[in-house]
Amino acid sequence: MAQVALKFDGVTAGYRGRIVLENLSFGIEEGEFVSLAGPNGCGKSTLLKTAAALIKPLDGSVYLFGDDIRTLRPAQRASLIGVVPQKVESPMAYTVMQIVMNGRTAMTGLLHGFSDHDFVVIERSMIYTNVLHLKDRYFMELSGGEQQRVILAMVLAQEPRILMLDESIAHLDINHRYEVLRILKRINREKKVTVFLVSHDLALSAEVADRLILMNRGGIVSEGRPGRVLVPEVLEMVYGCELQVRNDPFTGSIHVAGVLDDLNGIGNKSKTVHVIAGGGTGIELFRRLIVEGFTITSGVLNGMDSDAEAVRALDIEAVLEKPFSPVGDAALGIAREKALEADIVIVTDVPFGPGNLVNLHIARSALENGKSVWLAGGVAERDYTEGKQAGKLADELTDKGANIWTSLHELMRKLKVGMQ
Amino acid sequence: MKDSYHDKQTVPGAENICLTETVPVLKIVVFLGAVLLLLFLSLLLGPTGILLPDTATPVGSAIMSLRFNRMIMGLLVGAALSVSGVVFQAVLRNPLAEPYVLGVSGGAGLGATFAILFGAVAAIPLSLPFTAFVSAVATLLLVYGIASRGSGGTPSVYSLILSGVIISAICSSLIMFFVSMASVEGLHNVIWWMLGNLQPAPLSQRLVAALFIASGIAGSMLLASRLNALTLGREMAHYQGINADAVILVALLCATLLAATAVSISGMIGFVGLIVPHVMRAIFGPEHKMLIPLSALGGGTFLAVCDAFARSVLAPIEIPVGVVTAIAGGPFFLLILQRKMKGAWIG
Repeated sequence: MAQVALKFDGVTAGYRGRIVLENLSFGIEEGEFVSLAGPNGCGKSTLLKTAAALIKPLDGSVYLFGDDIRTLRPAQRASLIGVVPQKVESPMAYTVMQIVMNGRTAMTGLLHGFSDHDFVVIERSMIYTNVLHLKDRYFMELSGGEQQRVILAMVLAQEPRILMLDESIAHLDINHRYEVLRILKRINREKKVTVFLVSHDLALSAEVADRLILMNRGGIVSEGRPGRVLVPEVLEMVYGCELQVRNDPFTGSIHVAGVLDDLNGIGNKSKTVHVIAGGGTGIELFRRLIVEGFTITSGVLNGMDSDAEAVRALDIEAVLEKPFSPVGDAALGIAREKALEADIVIVTDVPFGPGNLVNLHIARSALENGKSVWLAGGVAERDYTEGKQAGKLADELTDKGANIWTSLHELMRKLKVGMQ
Repeated sequence: MKDSYHDKQTVPGAENICLTETVPVLKIVVFLGAVLLLLFLSLLLGPTGILLPDTATPVGSAIMSLRFNRMIMGLLVGAALSVSGVVFQAVLRNPLAEPYVLGVSGGAGLGATFAILFGAVAAIPLSLPFTAFVSAVATLLLVYGIASRGSGGTPSVYSLILSGVIISAICSSLIMFFVSMASVEGLHNVIWWMLGNLQPAPLSQRLVAALFIASGIAGSMLLASRLNALTLGREMAHYQGINADAVILVALLCATLLAATAVSISGMIGFVGLIVPHVMRAIFGPEHKMLIPLSALGGGTFLAVCDAFARSVLAPIEIPVGVVTAIAGGPFFLLILQRKMKGAWIG
């Protein structure tokens, strides 16, 4: 059983009569990598400042490795918990080395200089964060990512057993963000330093943490594995808006996104478009159609196909067949019905094989029933059926009056003209 | 890879590096040489001529002793004002901070004016530095108290400087009020003192002042590494395990002691506390373990040289040294203000 590194026991805290945290209790075990997320103003920063004894709790206690934080001397506290704030500014021309040395100042006496041991610790922290080569550069001249690493080196020079980061990663460019995250992961794995990452970025929090704590209005709403915490019902309650959560099909990471379509393309609602797609060829088209405000149906798609993921994420009504299976009669029947209910049928540049050739038959039925059909050009080049059946079918459709489109931009323009 | 945090040998290229604090020896040697040369030159200048007086004659040795004493006064007061400026700038993280901006000099001046005009100094010469220090501390507490109101304990730098400027203006007005009420005999003393000059004070005053100034500089030097940390902000210093509030309080007391003592023996000499720290920072960097002693030396020399000019340029008329430093410092202040607007410090 690992030791409890940080423990809040019924903590109430706030500023000048305004209570921000109310009767908050939670614990972090030594060696954990925990993220704290929540909307702006929910009390994340107050929690962090209370944990670092910058704010005294109005009620309750904070414990660091079993000791009440009020009983610790400042230097003792700094050797247990290090804080990387959002941004640190040095108004004067200090070098990187001089900045990092600040991390050990509290551990040296007023009359003593830095010992050899101090310099060894400083050097290791700088190696670990890859800033040793910058040691003689001026701190304020560095890029944001480099500055963040220098500050991290400075805090590591305290040799803390818990590292808390306050929103200090989210504003970095993506390359620097991941460099800092890699350093944190290494410190966590190799040094067994407990990491407590405070961020309003849900995806980032979910990606790196073993455990996620979700806060709202000064209390903990939910905690556990990121996948358990980030569920639409909880998030919608916390953030008070409609949200979608989905897993990245490639990496398994979690994405949270808001819903925009209620704001888009007011006026096209009456028109319905049936899209025949597959293999990811429809994703961009779906987005554009949503933006323009069309009602969309799609099919037949195979389950687990990228387009099938897209229709699920975008909440589009679609007819699905089992993964990697040829389109069966049942699905085909429903899809044909959908196509006949639509005003427009669009065929993307999906490759055709024996499994999905029937989708072109749907397009033909729609055309024969007087629907406007838009066919992506060059079907013959992506025809993998025996005897080039798809190519022939495409020629037949063109003869019967189907429109050919090549660029998405042009298609959207023509569709809009057709609307008016 | 195993635990490379504890084992630097696993990091390629790391075995050759051994970090230490670097001291720019050459720069310091050149600087010390310049200091000695300038101090010697300051002894050559005086209203009686531009050479060393003949110390064999009684007049010559008297002149020499007078010049030497003024040099010592310049060193003391210049060092006190410069170190006070260094500490205020570090604690308040503001390049424009110095004893005057915070109202500390104004408060010391008000106390000193009071003591001079009401005859306390004539009766007990030592009452001057004590009155100046007590009133400077009272002013600082007042400024701090006003700035703290409504901020739940610790004042922001901006409210501190704002209330400092206001209290400073009130002190100046009160000094003017007392001067306008003063009898004709007292008037010359006060005005001459207000303009700032380095005419040697009585020995007992000088000794007490030297003791106060030495304590203030020593105290500031003990806090040097904490001051480095404080330039990153009070919050970051707290996270690093520094008792930020205690360090700020002690540092402000040291800086106030220095400024008040300087004011009590030499009157209002402006801009030294502003110029010297910036110039020294530009040459030697902002690290306070080096900056504080070097600023003390540099500031002392600067004021001694300014004083040599002040007493010899328009001889036999003596210009108050405060006028010389203000003429040199005004444009410099504007330059810093301009840089500050662009977000950068000089040095």
